[in-house]
Amino acid sequence: MKILKLTLHHIRRSPFQSLMAFFTVFTCFFLLNSFLLVNRGLSTVLNYFETKPEITIFLKDGLDQATVESVQKELASYPDIKEIRYISKEKALSLYKDMNKDNPLLTEMVTASILPASFEVSAYNPKVLEVIAQNFSAKSQVVDEIIYQKDVIQSLLTWTQIIRRSSLILITLFMLIAFVMIFTLIGMKITNRKDEIKISRLLGASKFYVKKPFLLEGTIYGLIGSFFGFLLSFIIIYNLRFAINSFFQPIIFIPNLTFFEPLLLLAEIFVGIFIGLSASWLGARRYIKW
Amino acid sequence: MEIVFDKVTKNYGPINVFRDFDLKINPGDFVFITGPSGSGKSTLIKLILNQIKPSSGDVLIDGQALNHLQNKNEIDKIRRKIGVIFQDYQLINDLTIEENIALNLDIIAYPQEKIPSRIDQVIKMVKLQHRHFLFSSQLSGGELQRACLARALSIEPEVILADEPTGNLDPVNAWNLIKILQDINEKFKTTIIMTTHNTDFIESLDKKVIKLGKTEHENS
Repeated sequence: MKILKLTLHHIRRSPFQSLMAFFTVFTCFFLLNSFLLVNRGLSTVLNYFETKPEITIFLKDGLDQATVESVQKELASYPDIKEIRYISKEKALSLYKDMNKDNPLLTEMVTASILPASFEVSAYNPKVLEVIAQNFSAKSQVVDEIIYQKDVIQSLLTWTQIIRRSSLILITLFMLIAFVMIFTLIGMKITNRKDEIKISRLLGASKFYVKKPFLLEGTIYGLIGSFFGFLLSFIIIYNLRFAINSFFQPIIFIPNLTFFEPLLLLAEIFVGIFIGLSASWLGARRYIKW
Repeated sequence: MEIVFDKVTKNYGPINVFRDFDLKINPGDFVFITGPSGSGKSTLIKLILNQIKPSSGDVLIDGQALNHLQNKNEIDKIRRKIGVIFQDYQLINDLTIEENIALNLDIIAYPQEKIPSRIDQVIKMVKLQHRHFLFSSQLSGGELQRACLARALSIEPEVILADEPTGNLDPVNAWNLIKILQDINEKFKTTIIMTTHNTDFIESLDKKVIKLGKTEHENS
């Protein structure tokens, strides 16, 4: 009797136990995949805020062109700088007018001369901005004021870390639940089939031979559970994509399909198989004593 | 396959079944093991299968002491050469008779493509043609015993261990089974070790007989 046939026979003979194992793995991977896809979107959101212009250096009035250029050069010399934008007095006025176009009273009295020129600096690494803020606050002869949303960045950094750490803990927890579930189930199945195992051993079956159907059974739960868990969460999230993306505009929370999704599917199936196989291997090792 | 018991002692707690028991069964022998209930007939079969260990002494198969095997897989290899008809059948309940036989053939790595024809062959041999698709719970005692015989024969064993194989058979089927075992013994030189209470077989056939005595209580 072929191994697959025997394994499927085992699964059919205890359908409720098998369904329970399948649903546990399925639920774990459904949650895991949903979490991964949402976490990916959240990372995009955090990345968006992290790399937005976070520091604005307002310059004193009356600085010559050479001084402004030297400030720009100094800013550019910092590592991980993403963008430096110079906002001249005229550009500041046009931005101001654009922001208040619905309220002409606010724009009538304002001229370019009363608005300061400034540098808007964004960085890949928000920690650089902190250094820039410290260094430039000492340059009182060229810098009028520095607006640095330190608290916002700090809060974003904290949240980024919390989300990443909690995702790691949750993923580990999901894996552990799936592992323990398959381990216990295989143990139960071995106990239920101990007479069959004993008979097979008396007929000359090796320990590996009697373990094989259980190993394959665990692998099947891991494979099918991870595949369908991925599939369902993928279908749900990608069907809600437009609604989610419009909520997070202009950030694309759920991007279009790329090579990432098939890779994620393969990785999850691999992890599912690994969990199923290792849990059933340990279960078989623990419970097959004959 | 040569089977030797070398000063084997077997105790079940205070009950002594064998004490310094010596036995040699040569390849191709047909041996009846007889004795009263509890005399150790099934124990002898279990010792050969290494299902239980002797309290002292050695059981040797082809010169290899079973309780001193270097490689633990060695016992599996030995068991694959032995066909067993168990007193309590030991058929897997949720497999059909043909699936039980197929499992045994798979265990000995019989070529997959030849398994169906081999099953047909042995099923016909034991006259279970119309029962092979049934589960063990759907068969009578006699049919179960014949199913066990079919499974044992299927692997073309070097030795057949038959533990009271005629216990549940009517005289006609019992003699048929003995005839099958005798044929196999003569044709293929398969060693047959059969435990029985039936003195008719022992008297009618000119075979080696080992009579086991009553067990002893160590304290008595």
